[in-house]
Amino acid sequence: MNSSKSQAKDLVNIGIYSSIYLVITMLLSFLSLIPVFHPLLAILCPIVGGVPFMLFLTKTRKFGMITIMGIIMGIVMLLTGMGYFCLFTGLVFGLLADIVAKSGNYVSAKKSILTSGVFSIWYVGNYLAAFIIRQSHYDHIIKSFGQEYADAYMSFYPNWMLPVLFAVCFISGIIGGFLGKALLKKHFKKAGIA
Amino acid sequence: MIEWQVLSSASKNLRVNLDPRTKLFLLITICILVIGGQINGIMLIIRPALAAISLILLFTAGKRKISNICIGVYVFFFICENFILPVMTGTLGFILLFFSGFITRLLPGMVMGYYTVETTSVSEFIAAMKKIHLTKKIVIPLAVMFRFFPTVIEEYHAIGDAMRMRGIRFGGKNIFKILEYRFIPMMICSIKIGEELSAAALTRGLGAPVHRTNICRIGFHFIDIFLIFLCIALFILSILSKIGVF
Repeated sequence: MNSSKSQAKDLVNIGIYSSIYLVITMLLSFLSLIPVFHPLLAILCPIVGGVPFMLFLTKTRKFGMITIMGIIMGIVMLLTGMGYFCLFTGLVFGLLADIVAKSGNYVSAKKSILTSGVFSIWYVGNYLAAFIIRQSHYDHIIKSFGQEYADAYMSFYPNWMLPVLFAVCFISGIIGGFLGKALLKKHFKKAGIA
Repeated sequence: MIEWQVLSSASKNLRVNLDPRTKLFLLITICILVIGGQINGIMLIIRPALAAISLILLFTAGKRKISNICIGVYVFFFICENFILPVMTGTLGFILLFFSGFITRLLPGMVMGYYTVETTSVSEFIAAMKKIHLTKKIVIPLAVMFRFFPTVIEEYHAIGDAMRMRGIRFGGKNIFKILEYRFIPMMICSIKIGEELSAAALTRGLGAPVHRTNICRIGFHFIDIFLIFLCIALFILSILSKIGVF
Protein backbone atom coordinates (compact mmCIF):
# COMPACT_ATOMS: atom_id res chain seq x y z
CA MET A 1 0.00 0.00 0.00
CA ASN A 2 2.61 2.44 1.10
CA SER A 3 4.95 1.65 -1.77
CA SER A 4 2.26 2.09 -4.40
CA LYS A 5 1.32 5.40 -2.81
CA SER A 6 4.88 6.63 -2.93
CA GLN A 7 5.17 5.37 -6.48
CA ALA A 8 2.15 7.46 -7.49
CA LYS A 9 3.70 10.46 -5.78
CA ASP A 10 6.95 9.92 -7.69
CA LEU A 11 5.07 9.71 -10.97
CA VAL A 12 3.23 12.97 -10.24
CA ASN A 13 6.58 14.56 -9.40
CA ILE A 14 8.01 13.46 -12.73
CA GLY A 15 5.10 15.15 -14.46
CA ILE A 16 5.56 18.37 -12.51
CA TYR A 17 9.29 18.72 -13.03
CA SER A 18 9.05 17.67 -16.67
CA SER A 19 6.57 20.46 -17.32
CA ILE A 20 8.78 23.05 -15.64
CA TYR A 21 11.79 21.78 -17.61
CA LEU A 22 9.85 21.87 -20.85
CA VAL A 23 8.39 25.34 -20.33
CA ILE A 24 11.90 26.68 -19.83
CA THR A 25 13.19 24.80 -22.88
CA MET A 26 10.35 26.09 -25.02
CA LEU A 27 10.73 29.70 -23.92
CA LEU A 28 14.39 29.51 -24.93
CA SER A 29 13.56 27.71 -28.17
CA PHE A 30 11.86 30.77 -29.58
CA LEU A 31 15.36 32.16 -29.98
CA SER A 32 16.08 29.50 -32.61
CA LEU A 33 14.25 31.55 -35.24
CA ILE A 34 17.55 33.36 -35.66
CA PRO A 35 19.89 30.81 -37.29
CA VAL A 36 22.87 31.71 -35.07
CA PHE A 37 20.95 30.82 -31.96
CA HIS A 38 20.02 27.39 -33.24
CA PRO A 39 23.28 25.62 -32.29
CA LEU A 40 23.68 27.91 -29.28
CA LEU A 41 20.52 26.39 -27.80
CA ALA A 42 22.57 23.27 -27.10
CA ILE A 43 24.45 25.43 -24.62
CA LEU A 44 21.61 27.55 -23.25
CA CYS A 45 18.93 24.91 -22.72
CA PRO A 46 20.98 22.46 -20.62
CA ILE A 47 22.39 25.30 -18.50
CA VAL A 48 19.02 26.81 -17.64
CA GLY A 49 17.29 23.44 -17.61
CA GLY A 50 19.89 22.24 -15.13
CA VAL A 51 18.15 24.22 -12.38
CA PRO A 52 14.80 22.35 -12.41
CA PHE A 53 16.64 19.12 -13.17
CA MET A 54 18.81 19.41 -10.05
CA LEU A 55 15.67 20.16 -8.08
CA PHE A 56 14.10 17.06 -9.60
CA LEU A 57 17.11 15.00 -8.56
CA THR A 58 16.51 15.94 -4.92
CA LYS A 59 13.15 14.16 -5.24
CA THR A 60 14.39 11.00 -6.94
CA ARG A 61 15.28 8.05 -4.79
CA LYS A 62 14.31 5.22 -7.10
CA PHE A 63 15.73 3.72 -10.24
CA GLY A 64 13.73 4.52 -13.36
CA MET A 65 12.45 8.01 -12.62
CA ILE A 66 15.05 9.77 -14.75
CA THR A 67 14.50 7.26 -17.56
CA ILE A 68 10.78 8.02 -17.54
CA MET A 69 11.53 11.73 -17.69
CA GLY A 70 13.77 11.11 -20.71
CA ILE A 71 11.06 9.13 -22.48
CA ILE A 72 8.55 11.88 -21.76
CA MET A 73 10.90 14.47 -23.24
CA GLY A 74 11.02 12.29 -26.36
CA ILE A 75 7.23 11.99 -26.56
CA VAL A 76 6.69 15.72 -26.12
CA MET A 77 9.34 16.56 -28.71
CA LEU A 78 7.58 14.19 -31.11
CA LEU A 79 4.25 15.86 -30.44
CA THR A 80 5.71 19.34 -30.90
CA GLY A 81 7.22 18.37 -34.21
CA MET A 82 10.92 18.17 -33.41
CA GLY A 83 11.20 14.75 -35.02
CA TYR A 84 11.39 11.23 -33.65
CA PHE A 85 15.10 11.11 -32.82
CA CYS A 86 14.51 12.50 -29.34
CA LEU A 87 12.52 9.41 -28.39
CA PHE A 88 15.69 7.41 -28.88
CA THR A 89 18.13 9.83 -27.23
CA GLY A 90 15.72 10.48 -24.37
CA LEU A 91 15.50 6.78 -23.60
CA VAL A 92 19.23 6.07 -23.92
CA PHE A 93 20.59 9.05 -22.03
CA GLY A 94 17.81 8.99 -19.48
CA LEU A 95 18.80 5.41 -18.71
CA LEU A 96 22.51 6.27 -18.59
CA ALA A 97 21.80 9.23 -16.30
CA ASP A 98 19.78 6.92 -14.10
CA ILE A 99 22.71 4.51 -13.84
CA VAL A 100 25.06 7.35 -12.90
CA ALA A 101 22.66 8.62 -10.24
CA LYS A 102 22.18 5.10 -8.95
CA SER A 103 25.94 4.67 -8.54
CA GLY A 104 25.88 7.71 -6.23
CA ASN A 105 22.87 6.29 -4.38
CA TYR A 106 20.85 9.34 -5.49
CA VAL A 107 22.39 11.48 -2.73
CA SER A 108 25.96 12.17 -3.87
CA ALA A 109 26.31 15.81 -4.92
CA LYS A 110 29.13 15.12 -7.40
CA LYS A 111 27.26 12.28 -9.03
CA SER A 112 24.10 14.35 -9.35
CA ILE A 113 25.98 17.05 -11.24
CA LEU A 114 27.38 14.35 -13.52
CA THR A 115 23.84 13.00 -13.92
CA SER A 116 22.68 16.41 -15.07
CA GLY A 117 25.45 16.40 -17.68
CA VAL A 118 24.60 12.93 -18.98
CA PHE A 119 20.87 13.62 -19.05
CA SER A 120 21.38 16.82 -21.05
CA ILE A 121 22.77 14.83 -23.97
CA TRP A 122 19.19 13.85 -24.90
CA TYR A 123 19.01 17.32 -26.39
CA VAL A 124 21.29 16.23 -29.25
CA GLY A 125 18.26 14.35 -30.61
CA ASN A 126 16.89 17.68 -31.82
CA TYR A 127 19.89 18.08 -34.09
CA LEU A 128 20.30 14.51 -35.32
CA ALA A 129 18.03 15.11 -38.31
CA ALA A 130 20.64 17.49 -39.71
CA PHE A 131 23.23 14.67 -39.73
CA ILE A 132 21.39 11.41 -40.30
CA ILE A 133 18.98 12.42 -43.04
CA ARG A 134 21.14 15.29 -44.21
CA GLN A 135 20.05 15.76 -47.81
CA SER A 136 16.32 15.46 -47.30
CA HIS A 137 16.52 17.70 -44.24
CA TYR A 138 18.36 20.31 -46.31
CA ASP A 139 15.83 20.19 -49.16
CA HIS A 140 13.10 20.43 -46.60
CA ILE A 141 14.49 23.61 -45.05
CA ILE A 142 15.08 25.21 -48.44
CA LYS A 143 11.45 24.66 -49.37
CA SER A 144 10.04 25.96 -46.13
CA PHE A 145 12.41 28.72 -45.06
CA GLY A 146 14.27 29.60 -48.26
CA GLN A 147 17.77 29.08 -49.64
CA GLU A 148 19.50 31.70 -47.46
CA TYR A 149 18.21 30.33 -44.19
CA ALA A 150 18.96 26.76 -45.25
CA ASP A 151 22.54 27.60 -46.20
CA ALA A 152 23.08 29.51 -42.98
CA TYR A 153 21.49 26.65 -41.07
CA MET A 154 23.51 23.88 -42.67
CA SER A 155 26.78 25.80 -42.42
CA PHE A 156 26.50 25.35 -38.66
CA TYR A 157 26.30 21.58 -38.97
CA PRO A 158 29.25 20.07 -40.81
CA ASN A 159 29.77 16.41 -39.93
CA TRP A 160 32.45 17.06 -37.28
CA MET A 161 29.84 19.10 -35.44
CA LEU A 162 28.06 15.98 -34.16
CA PRO A 163 30.67 14.92 -31.55
CA VAL A 164 31.07 18.59 -30.67
CA LEU A 165 27.35 18.83 -29.97
CA PHE A 166 27.53 15.78 -27.73
CA ALA A 167 30.41 17.32 -25.81
CA VAL A 168 28.79 20.75 -25.65
CA CYS A 169 25.53 19.35 -24.30
CA PHE A 170 27.40 17.33 -21.72
CA ILE A 171 29.57 20.21 -20.56
CA SER A 172 26.75 22.74 -20.42
CA GLY A 173 24.66 20.14 -18.61
CA ILE A 174 27.39 19.98 -16.00
CA ILE A 175 27.54 23.78 -15.81
CA GLY A 176 23.77 23.72 -15.41
CA GLY A 177 24.23 21.18 -12.64
CA PHE A 178 26.61 23.48 -10.78
CA LEU A 179 24.31 26.44 -11.33
CA GLY A 180 21.35 24.42 -10.13
CA LYS A 181 23.27 23.30 -7.07
CA ALA A 182 24.22 26.90 -6.22
CA LEU A 183 20.69 28.20 -6.70
CA LEU A 184 19.33 25.26 -4.73
CA LYS A 185 21.51 26.26 -1.84
CA LYS A 186 20.65 29.94 -2.16
CA HIS A 187 16.88 29.78 -2.68
CA PHE A 188 15.24 26.43 -2.42
CA LYS A 189 16.74 25.27 0.86
CA LYS A 190 15.45 28.48 2.41
CA ALA A 191 11.98 27.91 1.01
CA GLY A 192 12.04 24.38 2.35
CA ILE A 193 11.62 22.73 -1.04
CA ALA A 194 14.94 21.01 -1.69
CA MET B 1 -37.03 21.79 -18.19
CA ILE B 2 -35.89 25.18 -19.42
CA GLU B 3 -32.66 24.77 -17.56
CA TRP B 4 -32.12 21.41 -19.16
CA GLN B 5 -32.68 22.89 -22.59
CA VAL B 6 -30.22 25.68 -21.96
CA LEU B 7 -27.63 23.23 -20.74
CA SER B 8 -28.07 20.85 -23.64
CA SER B 9 -28.00 23.58 -26.26
CA ALA B 10 -24.84 24.98 -24.74
CA SER B 11 -23.11 21.64 -24.77
CA LYS B 12 -24.33 20.52 -28.22
CA ASN B 13 -23.51 23.74 -30.02
CA LEU B 14 -22.10 22.22 -33.21
CA ARG B 15 -19.59 20.31 -31.17
CA VAL B 16 -18.03 17.06 -32.32
CA ASN B 17 -16.92 14.93 -29.42
CA LEU B 18 -13.84 13.18 -30.63
CA ASP B 19 -12.19 10.34 -28.80
CA PRO B 20 -8.90 11.45 -27.18
CA ARG B 21 -7.11 8.73 -29.11
CA THR B 22 -8.33 10.24 -32.37
CA LYS B 23 -7.14 13.65 -31.27
CA LEU B 24 -3.68 12.35 -30.41
CA PHE B 25 -3.45 10.41 -33.66
CA LEU B 26 -4.42 13.55 -35.59
CA LEU B 27 -1.85 15.55 -33.62
CA ILE B 28 0.91 13.06 -34.44
CA THR B 29 -0.13 12.97 -38.09
CA ILE B 30 -0.06 16.74 -38.33
CA CYS B 31 3.29 16.95 -36.56
CA ILE B 32 4.92 14.38 -38.81
CA LEU B 33 3.35 15.34 -42.13
CA VAL B 34 2.96 19.10 -41.82
CA ILE B 35 6.02 20.02 -39.79
CA GLY B 36 8.38 17.35 -40.98
CA GLY B 37 7.01 16.38 -44.37
CA GLN B 38 8.09 17.22 -47.88
CA ILE B 39 6.62 20.15 -49.75
CA ASN B 40 6.06 18.90 -53.26
CA GLY B 41 3.67 16.88 -55.35
CA ILE B 42 0.78 15.43 -53.44
CA MET B 43 1.94 17.06 -50.18
CA LEU B 44 0.78 20.39 -51.60
CA ILE B 45 -2.74 19.08 -51.14
CA ILE B 46 -2.19 17.06 -47.96
CA ARG B 47 -0.75 19.89 -45.89
CA PRO B 48 -3.59 22.39 -46.36
CA ALA B 49 -6.08 19.55 -45.91
CA LEU B 50 -4.62 18.68 -42.50
CA ALA B 51 -4.47 22.36 -41.58
CA ALA B 52 -8.13 22.71 -42.56
CA ILE B 53 -9.08 19.75 -40.36
CA SER B 54 -7.36 21.27 -37.33
CA LEU B 55 -8.85 24.72 -37.94
CA ILE B 56 -12.37 23.34 -38.44
CA LEU B 57 -12.07 21.31 -35.25
CA LEU B 58 -11.01 24.38 -33.30
CA PHE B 59 -13.92 26.32 -34.82
CA THR B 60 -16.45 23.68 -33.83
CA ALA B 61 -15.04 23.57 -30.30
CA GLY B 62 -16.62 26.97 -29.70
CA LYS B 63 -13.41 29.00 -29.61
CA ARG B 64 -14.76 31.38 -32.24
CA LYS B 65 -12.47 34.35 -31.68
CA ILE B 66 -9.17 32.51 -31.57
CA SER B 67 -10.13 30.18 -34.41
CA ASN B 68 -11.15 33.09 -36.62
CA ILE B 69 -7.77 34.73 -36.00
CA CYS B 70 -5.94 31.48 -36.78
CA ILE B 71 -7.94 30.90 -39.96
CA GLY B 72 -7.24 34.45 -41.11
CA VAL B 73 -3.52 34.19 -40.44
CA TYR B 74 -3.22 30.77 -42.05
CA VAL B 75 -5.14 31.75 -45.19
CA PHE B 76 -3.08 34.93 -45.55
CA PHE B 77 0.27 33.16 -45.34
CA PHE B 78 -0.95 30.24 -47.41
CA ILE B 79 -1.87 32.63 -50.23
CA CYS B 80 1.49 34.36 -49.77
CA GLU B 81 3.36 31.08 -50.00
CA ASN B 82 1.62 29.80 -53.08
CA PHE B 83 0.68 32.82 -55.16
CA ILE B 84 2.65 35.89 -54.16
CA LEU B 85 6.08 34.44 -53.38
CA PRO B 86 6.88 32.96 -56.79
CA VAL B 87 6.79 36.45 -58.25
CA MET B 88 8.70 38.12 -55.45
CA THR B 89 12.44 38.43 -55.00
CA GLY B 90 14.89 40.31 -52.79
CA THR B 91 14.93 40.91 -49.07
CA LEU B 92 11.19 41.39 -48.71
CA GLY B 93 10.59 38.10 -50.49
CA PHE B 94 13.05 36.39 -48.18
CA ILE B 95 11.38 37.73 -45.06
CA LEU B 96 7.94 36.80 -46.37
CA LEU B 97 9.13 33.31 -47.32
CA PHE B 98 10.58 32.84 -43.88
CA PHE B 99 7.40 33.89 -42.11
CA SER B 100 5.04 32.01 -44.39
CA GLY B 101 7.19 28.88 -44.12
CA PHE B 102 7.16 29.25 -40.38
CA ILE B 103 3.43 29.93 -40.01
CA THR B 104 2.07 27.38 -42.47
CA ARG B 105 4.34 24.81 -40.88
CA LEU B 106 3.78 25.42 -37.18
CA LEU B 107 0.28 26.85 -36.96
CA PRO B 108 -1.66 23.63 -37.74
CA GLY B 109 0.30 21.71 -35.11
CA MET B 110 -0.18 24.45 -32.54
CA VAL B 111 -3.90 24.70 -33.29
CA MET B 112 -4.31 20.95 -33.00
CA GLY B 113 -2.32 20.85 -29.77
CA TYR B 114 -4.39 23.70 -28.32
CA TYR B 115 -7.60 21.98 -29.37
CA THR B 116 -6.51 18.68 -27.82
CA VAL B 117 -5.60 20.29 -24.51
CA GLU B 118 -8.69 22.49 -24.39
CA THR B 119 -11.28 19.83 -25.18
CA THR B 120 -9.89 16.81 -23.34
CA SER B 121 -10.29 16.48 -19.60
CA VAL B 122 -7.61 14.69 -17.63
CA SER B 123 -10.00 11.84 -16.80
CA GLU B 124 -10.83 11.34 -20.46
CA PHE B 125 -7.16 11.34 -21.28
CA ILE B 126 -6.38 8.71 -18.64
CA ALA B 127 -9.33 6.58 -19.73
CA ALA B 128 -8.19 6.68 -23.34
CA MET B 129 -4.57 5.89 -22.47
CA LYS B 130 -5.73 2.97 -20.37
CA LYS B 131 -7.58 1.60 -23.37
CA ILE B 132 -4.44 1.51 -25.47
CA HIS B 133 -2.70 -0.24 -22.55
CA LEU B 134 0.04 2.29 -22.04
CA THR B 135 1.84 1.67 -18.77
CA LYS B 136 0.81 3.73 -15.76
CA LYS B 137 4.39 4.92 -15.40
CA ILE B 138 4.08 6.96 -18.59
CA VAL B 139 0.38 7.84 -18.36
CA ILE B 140 0.44 9.51 -14.94
CA PRO B 141 3.34 11.89 -15.68
CA LEU B 142 1.79 12.74 -19.05
CA ALA B 143 -1.60 13.36 -17.45
CA VAL B 144 0.00 15.59 -14.82
CA MET B 145 1.79 17.54 -17.54
CA PHE B 146 -1.47 17.84 -19.44
CA ARG B 147 -2.99 19.57 -16.45
CA PHE B 148 0.13 21.33 -15.23
CA PHE B 149 1.69 22.80 -18.36
CA PRO B 150 -0.83 25.68 -18.66
CA THR B 151 -0.38 26.40 -14.95
CA VAL B 152 3.38 26.83 -15.33
CA ILE B 153 2.92 29.21 -18.27
CA GLU B 154 0.34 31.19 -16.28
CA GLU B 155 2.77 31.44 -13.38
CA TYR B 156 5.52 32.53 -15.75
CA HIS B 157 3.40 35.42 -17.00
CA ALA B 158 2.32 36.40 -13.50
CA ILE B 159 5.92 36.50 -12.30
CA GLY B 160 6.85 38.39 -15.47
CA ASP B 161 4.28 41.08 -14.66
CA ALA B 162 5.50 41.37 -11.10
CA MET B 163 9.11 41.67 -12.20
CA ARG B 164 8.28 44.23 -14.87
CA MET B 165 6.93 46.40 -12.08
CA ARG B 166 10.32 46.15 -10.44
CA GLY B 167 12.04 46.99 -13.71
CA ILE B 168 13.58 43.58 -14.32
CA ARG B 169 13.05 42.61 -17.94
CA PHE B 170 14.80 41.30 -21.02
CA GLY B 171 17.27 43.75 -22.45
CA GLY B 172 18.21 44.81 -18.96
CA LYS B 173 21.71 44.88 -17.58
CA ASN B 174 22.28 41.36 -16.42
CA ILE B 175 20.98 38.22 -18.09
CA PHE B 176 21.64 36.12 -15.01
CA LYS B 177 19.40 38.41 -12.99
CA ILE B 178 16.57 37.34 -15.28
CA LEU B 179 17.35 33.72 -14.63
CA GLU B 180 17.33 34.28 -10.91
CA TYR B 181 14.38 36.65 -10.64
CA ARG B 182 12.05 35.13 -13.19
CA PHE B 183 12.70 31.41 -13.41
CA ILE B 184 13.29 30.72 -9.72
CA PRO B 185 10.04 32.29 -8.43
CA MET B 186 8.21 30.55 -11.27
CA MET B 187 9.68 27.23 -10.17
CA ILE B 188 8.88 27.80 -6.51
CA CYS B 189 5.26 28.74 -7.30
CA SER B 190 4.81 25.82 -9.67
CA ILE B 191 6.31 23.34 -7.24
CA LYS B 192 4.03 24.53 -4.44
CA ILE B 193 1.02 24.12 -6.73
CA GLY B 194 2.37 20.78 -7.84
CA GLU B 195 2.61 19.52 -4.29
CA GLU B 196 -1.01 20.43 -3.69
CA LEU B 197 -1.91 18.72 -6.92
CA SER B 198 -0.16 15.52 -5.96
CA ALA B 199 -1.81 15.56 -2.53
CA ALA B 200 -5.18 16.02 -4.23
CA ALA B 201 -4.47 13.18 -6.64
CA LEU B 202 -3.49 10.86 -3.80
CA THR B 203 -6.64 11.81 -1.90
CA ARG B 204 -8.67 10.77 -4.91
CA GLY B 205 -6.99 7.40 -4.79
CA LEU B 206 -4.35 7.67 -7.48
CA GLY B 207 -1.95 5.52 -5.47
CA ALA B 208 -4.54 2.97 -4.39
CA PRO B 209 -3.60 -0.58 -5.35
CA VAL B 210 -7.00 -1.33 -6.87
CA HIS B 211 -8.35 -1.17 -10.37
CA ARG B 212 -9.52 2.37 -10.98
CA THR B 213 -12.85 2.99 -12.64
CA ASN B 214 -13.70 5.91 -14.84
CA ILE B 215 -17.06 7.46 -15.74
CA CYS B 216 -15.88 9.02 -18.97
CA ARG B 217 -17.50 7.57 -22.07
CA ILE B 218 -14.68 6.85 -24.43
CA GLY B 219 -15.36 5.23 -27.75
CA PHE B 220 -15.00 5.59 -31.48
CA HIS B 221 -17.87 7.11 -33.39
CA PHE B 222 -18.36 7.51 -37.10
CA ILE B 223 -16.37 10.75 -37.22
CA ASP B 224 -13.46 9.19 -35.31
CA ILE B 225 -13.23 6.26 -37.69
CA PHE B 226 -13.48 8.60 -40.65
CA LEU B 227 -10.65 10.82 -39.38
CA ILE B 228 -8.41 7.87 -38.50
CA PHE B 229 -8.82 6.32 -41.93
CA LEU B 230 -8.19 9.71 -43.47
CA CYS B 231 -4.93 10.02 -41.53
CA ILE B 232 -3.81 6.53 -42.51
CA ALA B 233 -4.61 7.30 -46.14
CA LEU B 234 -2.61 10.53 -45.95
CA PHE B 235 0.36 8.66 -44.45
CA ILE B 236 0.25 6.10 -47.27
CA LEU B 237 -0.01 8.85 -49.88
CA SER B 238 2.95 10.72 -48.43
CA ILE B 239 5.07 7.56 -48.33
CA LEU B 240 4.11 6.81 -51.94
CA SER B 241 5.06 10.32 -52.99
CA LYS B 242 8.37 9.95 -51.17
CA ILE B 243 9.18 6.77 -53.08
CA GLY B 244 8.28 8.61 -56.23
CA VAL B 245 5.07 7.06 -57.45
CA PHE B 246 3.55 10.46 -58.16
